[in-house]
Amino acid sequence: MISGMIARGRSLWRGMRRRDAVELEMSEEFKLHEELRAEDHVRRGLSPAEARRQARLEFGSAERYKDEARHSRGLRRLDELRFSWLDFKLGFRMLARYPGLTLVGGLAMAFAIWVGASTFELATQIIRPSIPLPDGDRIVAIQNWDAAASRIEPHVLHDFESWRTELKSVRELGAYRALERNLITGEGRGEPVEVAEITPSSFKLTRVPPLMGRTLVEGDERPGSTPVVVIGHDVWQRRFAGDPDVVGRTVRLASSPVTIVGVMPAGFEFPVAQSFWVPLRLNVLEHPRREGPALRVFGRLAPGASMADAQAELTALGKRAAVDFRDTHEHLRPVVIPYAKSVVNVTGWRSVGVMSVNLPLVLLLILICGNVALLMFARAATRESEIVVRTALGAGRARIIMQLFTEALVLGSVAAVAGLAAAGAGIRWVMTIVEAEFLEGGRLPFWFQDQLSPATIAYAALLTVLGAVIAGVVPALKVTRAVGAQLRRATAGGGGLRFGGVWTAIIVAQVAVTVAFPAVAFFVRRDATQIENTDVGFATREFLSLRLEMDRDPPPGAPADTSRAAFAARFRTTYQELARRIAAEPGVTQIAFGDRLPLMYHPHRLVLLDDGGAAPIDQRWPAGYRITAASVAPDFFEAVNAPILSGRGFRASDHAVERGEPGSPDALGGPVIVNESFVRLVVGGRNPIGRRVRYVALEEWDGPLGADAKPGPWYEIVGTVRDLGTAVGADVGQAAGGDPKVAAVYHVVAPGGVYPAHMGIRVAGDPTAFGPRLRAIATATDPTLRLYNIRPLSDVMESELEFLDFWFRMLLLVSSIALILSLAGIYAVMAFTVARRTREIGVRIALGATPRSVLASIFRQPVQQVALGVLVGALFVVVLARSAMGWFSPREIVFIVSYAGAMMVVCLLACIVPTRRALSVEPTEALRSEG
Amino acid sequence: MADQAGVLPGTLDLLILKAVSLGRLHGYGVLLRIEQISGGALQIQQGALYPALYRLEHQGLIASEWGTSDHNRKAKYYRLTTTGRRRLGEETASWNRLAEAIARSLAATPQEI
Repeated sequence: MISGMIARGRSLWRGMRRRDAVELEMSEEFKLHEELRAEDHVRRGLSPAEARRQARLEFGSAERYKDEARHSRGLRRLDELRFSWLDFKLGFRMLARYPGLTLVGGLAMAFAIWVGASTFELATQIIRPSIPLPDGDRIVAIQNWDAAASRIEPHVLHDFESWRTELKSVRELGAYRALERNLITGEGRGEPVEVAEITPSSFKLTRVPPLMGRTLVEGDERPGSTPVVVIGHDVWQRRFAGDPDVVGRTVRLASSPVTIVGVMPAGFEFPVAQSFWVPLRLNVLEHPRREGPALRVFGRLAPGASMADAQAELTALGKRAAVDFRDTHEHLRPVVIPYAKSVVNVTGWRSVGVMSVNLPLVLLLILICGNVALLMFARAATRESEIVVRTALGAGRARIIMQLFTEALVLGSVAAVAGLAAAGAGIRWVMTIVEAEFLEGGRLPFWFQDQLSPATIAYAALLTVLGAVIAGVVPALKVTRAVGAQLRRATAGGGGLRFGGVWTAIIVAQVAVTVAFPAVAFFVRRDATQIENTDVGFATREFLSLRLEMDRDPPPGAPADTSRAAFAARFRTTYQELARRIAAEPGVTQIAFGDRLPLMYHPHRLVLLDDGGAAPIDQRWPAGYRITAASVAPDFFEAVNAPILSGRGFRASDHAVERGEPGSPDALGGPVIVNESFVRLVVGGRNPIGRRVRYVALEEWDGPLGADAKPGPWYEIVGTVRDLGTAVGADVGQAAGGDPKVAAVYHVVAPGGVYPAHMGIRVAGDPTAFGPRLRAIATATDPTLRLYNIRPLSDVMESELEFLDFWFRMLLLVSSIALILSLAGIYAVMAFTVARRTREIGVRIALGATPRSVLASIFRQPVQQVALGVLVGALFVVVLARSAMGWFSPREIVFIVSYAGAMMVVCLLACIVPTRRALSVEPTEALRSEG
Repeated sequence: MADQAGVLPGTLDLLILKAVSLGRLHGYGVLLRIEQISGGALQIQQGALYPALYRLEHQGLIASEWGTSDHNRKAKYYRLTTTGRRRLGEETASWNRLAEAIARSLAATPQEI
């Protein structure tokens, strides 16, 4: 038996491999047979021509025997499933013959593949980053993990030195510190830039030669050598206008002058997203162990060494250090990881979470292809006669299914090419959106490429095949199932095909999506409009807002005190000088100072009120009253034109005492001012002056402080103001009933008494024009002052608005595609029904039925399906509206009902042409046709 | 000519194996050989022979190779393999048993009941 199987296998293999040769052999054999037979006939006395004819007749149909022969070789299955280039050509021809289906189906599939490929590419780049440097996957990072505190120990100066000298499996070790410093070029205006203070050996590690000049070298590290900087390509083009003589120019980084010695080529932003590189000066003697600068260490695996080898060596070193330096290193465990993971660490469950973003998009593809399947089914139904004839001629079911699958594959491939091209072009745009919304203006690490990786292309190919299976095989299965019955009935036409349960479900789902998505888009737009129209009661357009930061390192010449208190004092002094100079500028009328300004994001906290009457607590946060908080200078309310409504404002003496972070257990109490919403929502409309509040938790989702934790201090309410936009954007709509008014508590700080801080400067005329002047003043006051996000206060929500705009456009796009697919699907079903039942229509009209009753009977089922879909979609809209807006007013109910009605009408638009066709059926024509 | 008995499907394979066992043959030769050894009683439809030949080859009971015929033409010759020979023996024995059983049944006389 085994030998039998082996023999079969071998024969099958031969048949598969040398298909044409096998074909040729069979032809030769048959030909010889016929010739010999003819010769025998001649010998019996027939003429040669007659003999040949007789021989051929006796032989029978060569084609049939060849086919049977292939069958007996076990090749039948293979034949039927064989991919034929003829099918491929026919597929392309189909695309041209049915441009409607091609356009609609192709567009929809292209969209699905575009979205799927883009998301997959981003997800892959997050989870499996590949460093675009020579041998980039051998670059590793080394971290010191503090097992006792469960965090990474950043002060690794001494460890870095010991690793550098002792490690054998990791070479070319380097370290860096990421800083932000003001870059001050000739015009005297400082702009913060990303600087990497880095060991010069790192350039050798990356093996990227400079574009101009040189990289950093060992000599630059030595104390006393000229301060130098290497700049990046992007900066060279933007800040220095691509000046070919930029090497040798001197600029200032904060207060230190540096000389530019080189320019790196485009795309080089190692270690993460930096454009300036200065030498890192490390002196082990200056600091004891586990102190000193916070560094990140990286290196390259030695040739032949693996991560496991490196980890083993590091663990041994770590154990020795734990013994040698017990008091500092006892709990430290060095770890080596791939370099990219030290910056973007998405592993384990989180990586599954990131990849699972692709799932809804696969479902989207399935839904879209299901719809395309509907259209393909309708098209196949018009080719029913062709399929019946082919089946009668001997085509197996699998053969016909393969043909329809190939047609769908051709459509899918064309769509995939378009979708991939769009994905490749759009990746950069998507990354920009991600940077703006999730990184708040930061940059993605340099290894995020805006090209599609081969894995993504393979994924897109898989999606295409999946789509082709759904769009091609499923309708083919249904079409060929009824063919057997067709043959028995001996007519080539007639109603074997029907739109059954699966298609109904698809139409209903499609219509529901068509109804639901514009509603979602509407709510997104509404959110955006609400944000745009937020009125905080003063002219935000006239205020220039900015964020203030300052370099932590004390300036050269000042006492080397790096404590927080010293820095805070220095910042206060610097800020007051800055404010003085700004106030002296012509056109400046107000300066507002605080940890955040109106319209910006205010964190939420929970507070408790002292005994006395209070409003009922919102049950969503039962531990306390949910409020927003800010810390502002005493003249803040005056600056933003918010008069004190009751009680008193803040006085200069209020901030004389350092009070600590409001809400932290070791803070001191003090006066606070609350807004009108606080009075309404927390105190229940009673007089709040003199009442006291205390923080329950610093973030709204923390539980109440543990039983042994000291509760925070009491703050006394001394005054009230109106609402000043403390909850805009993401919070809009979250408050009960969609009312964006949220309670707020304001603490008082000295001007410059909080860090980082925000300033709002009211200036006459266009505030943006004041920007450059502002930078110049800041640089002159203190070059280590860094100003970020200088823009009119009214533009503060801009990035969030852009993100909402992005979503709005995507939803509109999806809605349009859904609408087109729905209309096409409904049209296909209707047209098919009319064509199928032409005869019946003719007969009924001939028998005297009114057009109305004919239409009613024919269109009843499709219209029911559409109505069901609209109902499901409308239900979804109701649920959505309820969660966004709370209970409805009658006005909103009317609105939703009329929206559903409008969508119903739109969907029924697709019925116009089939209806006219049905009505124009001549009874005599109909009876003659094969309906 | 004797009557053209309809050949049962399984028996065609058996006849082919027997014909080929008597010597290496090409397709037409197998046809002639079967006619010959059956004394003209069995005639096969010409083309229908080949699917059977290929099936037997697929199962490894006969093997084929290209050679030259006596008129110097290219022809494909079939010969019996070892497995084929064994199968021929088994099938022949089984056929004989069957024929004997049927013959005995048909020869039953009323007295034997």
